[in-house]
Amino acid sequence: MAKLIKIREHNIDIPKEAKVIAEKMLSDLEKSKRPVLEAVKTSLDNSFYNPKVGFLAPGDKVVRTELNVSSVQKLARVVFMLEILLRNLDIGSVNTKRELYYICKGLIKGEKKYKPLDFEDQNESDAIIDFIGDMLRVYREELNCFANDRGGQTYSQQLVVTETLADGDRATVDLSTLGTAPYQPKNKPQSLKLKVKKKVDFCLIVESEGTANTLQTMGFTKRNNCILMGAQGVPSNAVRGWSKLIQDELEVPMYFFGDLDAYTLQNIFRTLKAGSAASLIRNADFSAPEVKFLGVLPEDVKKYDLPHYKVKESDPAEARALKKAKDALENDPFFLDKKNKGLADILRWLIKEKIRCEQQSFFSVDPKDPIKTEKIILEKIKNKSYV
Amino acid sequence: MSKITKSSTAEYFAKNLQQVGFSSPLKAVLTTLKEAVDNSLDACEQAGILPEIKVEIKRVGTGSTKNTDLVKIVVEDNGPGIDPDDLAKVFGEYLASSKFGRGQCSRGQQGIGISAATTWAQLTNAKGAFVMTKTVNMRKAVKGQVDVDIKSNTGILRNKESVDWDKKSGVRVEFAFDGRIQLNGDGGLLTYLDGTVLVNPHLTLDYKLLDNDWVHIDRVSNIVPELPEATLPHPHTFKLGEFITHSTLFGKINLDKFLKSGFSRVTDQSLKEFTTKGLSKSLLGKPLTALKDEDFKNIFKAVQDTELMAPSTKSVLTVGEEALSKSIQRLGQVDFFSVVTRKPTICDFKPVVVEVALARFINRNTEADEPVQLLRFANRVPLQFDKSGCAITWAIESVNWKNYGLVQPKGSLPLGPYVFAVSIVSPFIKFKNASKETIDASEELVEEIRRALMQAGQKLSSHIRKEQKEADLERKLAHIEQFAPILVESLVRITKSNESRKKKAEEGLKKLLGRDSDEAHADLEQAHAKLSAQKERDAKKLGITEETSEASVEVAEENVKAAGTKKQATKKVAETTKKK
Repeated sequence: MAKLIKIREHNIDIPKEAKVIAEKMLSDLEKSKRPVLEAVKTSLDNSFYNPKVGFLAPGDKVVRTELNVSSVQKLARVVFMLEILLRNLDIGSVNTKRELYYICKGLIKGEKKYKPLDFEDQNESDAIIDFIGDMLRVYREELNCFANDRGGQTYSQQLVVTETLADGDRATVDLSTLGTAPYQPKNKPQSLKLKVKKKVDFCLIVESEGTANTLQTMGFTKRNNCILMGAQGVPSNAVRGWSKLIQDELEVPMYFFGDLDAYTLQNIFRTLKAGSAASLIRNADFSAPEVKFLGVLPEDVKKYDLPHYKVKESDPAEARALKKAKDALENDPFFLDKKNKGLADILRWLIKEKIRCEQQSFFSVDPKDPIKTEKIILEKIKNKSYV
Repeated sequence: MSKITKSSTAEYFAKNLQQVGFSSPLKAVLTTLKEAVDNSLDACEQAGILPEIKVEIKRVGTGSTKNTDLVKIVVEDNGPGIDPDDLAKVFGEYLASSKFGRGQCSRGQQGIGISAATTWAQLTNAKGAFVMTKTVNMRKAVKGQVDVDIKSNTGILRNKESVDWDKKSGVRVEFAFDGRIQLNGDGGLLTYLDGTVLVNPHLTLDYKLLDNDWVHIDRVSNIVPELPEATLPHPHTFKLGEFITHSTLFGKINLDKFLKSGFSRVTDQSLKEFTTKGLSKSLLGKPLTALKDEDFKNIFKAVQDTELMAPSTKSVLTVGEEALSKSIQRLGQVDFFSVVTRKPTICDFKPVVVEVALARFINRNTEADEPVQLLRFANRVPLQFDKSGCAITWAIESVNWKNYGLVQPKGSLPLGPYVFAVSIVSPFIKFKNASKETIDASEELVEEIRRALMQAGQKLSSHIRKEQKEADLERKLAHIEQFAPILVESLVRITKSNESRKKKAEEGLKKLLGRDSDEAHADLEQAHAKLSAQKERDAKKLGITEETSEASVEVAEENVKAAGTKKQATKKVAETTKKK
């Protein structure tokens, strides 16, 4: 079977690269030299933000693992897992991380001497898979390890998607034929081609999948030439890759509509726009730097007299979000860059005012008008009321 | 109007036996055993005899009440014996005691226990206690059955006869009553016997429980503990009523003399201070008989308001660290232990001494996630019920045992195969109930126990830490052995390399990890040596010398030196040890 999906134009030949690493380790051992594995350090202190490209990119820091008494277990596990992944690539087989966890269990069960490698829980095997990805600087999908990505439910009367399947066949989906059912890109947005029947004016990404569905049911995409997407919380790789694809292929203005709170701004919107520190390697292909924050904006709260809440500092989750926001203003290169000053200002405002306001609060403005939220969104786009 | 009647003490206790430890068939067996053994030990101690006690407990039929067995308990001692004329009094009359209110740290105090046991046997089996006694002055022993005349609170000796007994002196008492037998656990008979053995190093005990074989435990000390003389009461421990009653014991003497000779810590200086606190000088010269109640009230108040020296701690006795260390070995094979005897101190104006023994046993309480086995003692009597309300339990739970390497759920007893023994000795222990099951927790007492526990914990932790280090090093070594071959094999497969490369890589890896493992080996040897050296020191301190112990001390100490200076040398020592 052929390699299933090509995620990106990438000049790394993974099996070859893996063999080079294995060869180096083996020859080091032959010379009684301690082999060393290096992986990109995926953390905020190794993240750099270039306003010209618009996403967080990795710096020079690496995590070095040198063979010794303490690391011999990790290295043995890395090589063991690498062999499984290489075999998958060779025969074109795909798996989820959970499935790989059980594949390891199966192999260990069959061979007594592997017993010490056994993983106690999936966290342990996941960490090894992530390390291999960071070491080879590839996406897990490129190692044929897929996730069941949530979110990205998309509605449009204009969009037509063509998917190239593993066997080379093509499937074409006209989103206008789906009614209130969404199209969902799942974990392989990069294997899709996009076409529009008529010029699309904008793409709206709504944090709440429920609210996106309400807008669709009430005829949002019928009245507007647009693409409407539900993000379903923190954007998955699918949502991020899909947004990037829409941005690059269709070149339409993109807006994000979500709650006004530190968590949404920092975790949801920043990840969608510029990627995250944990996924430094994939941010280039999994972020949509053009997306704008449509709201809820601090000025909307006043303008529309939106119901809002005090942030409860006694609530551990909310207190943590506030503390993280303060950290972000000091350490996050995304918020430190002057290009994103507007977003940093909102974060500062949230820390100062200690309030939160939800996207659904727009439904309070005119409770008797079912499409009032739509009207406000359009009005905001028209008035350029976004950051 | 209903008629007001007066009932005897015996009537009261016969109806309220649950208050003195007979609240269930299970407790009845334990309490009876406890009362008999306590009496034997107290009697031996008073007569300066090294106690030899025999205990036999068996089921002899079904009980007369539901769900009980007819249980027979026999306790025999080599004590001074009881004068036959006193037999009925001792076993059949309540509050007939030689120890009541003397302010000594004896086990028994009021003279309730053994009469209650007789009552229980009488109530459930219609027969009281069967007793045999012989004092040194008697040629033949006297035996008979003692019953309690409940109406009049007097004992009756029936079927009295003289018999031969090949014993110099002693008492043998036998009860048959309704009960249920539990051997292990908090309320178990074995737990009681273990506890008694632990805090009585001078006791030789033989016991046979149910169908099990006779067990013989030798004494590890030949010193009969001397009960310190009672000291005079401290005036701050008195209530007004007690104060007045106390004065009646002194007849016609003057107040100043009464205060100085009837109490401890009252000096001429104190008398002066009493007057500054409102005691009129003229009263001091008056005889007690001339004082009115109102005067007593004023005197009492002035005494309470004056600061006095804390009472003397001379009236308490300890088992001692050495004796405790030897005694703990009698409970089973000890892995390691630590004992602490605190200096006597004053808690709540009463002299108290706390002793702690913590031990890990090899074949005992082996479940790692079970709480430690707790043995509590008050005046060397094991306390076995209602541990949650006891000052000792509170103190243990208040210590952070994680600091000493033990696992401990928050606010609970720590876990593991350990025995924690805590003993409190004081002439005035405040119990929560008449059956003496729990010690009332005052802040001062809990703090004193806590300190003892923490000292013992520190000693224990050096053992545990060394073991942990040892385990850690062993794990590392195992790591190398397990993972190295897998690593090479996988690499060879990925690179499709041949056998000769595999061999070469294996050798290279061996060299690499060999360097690591040499270091680990040396560390391990050092840890081993330190631990065994420590164990040897402990053994030496106890005076237990095994055949091999001297040789191993040498090797161990050599190891410490070698490991500390040169790793190569350690290897050699290790090799020679192996050859041995």
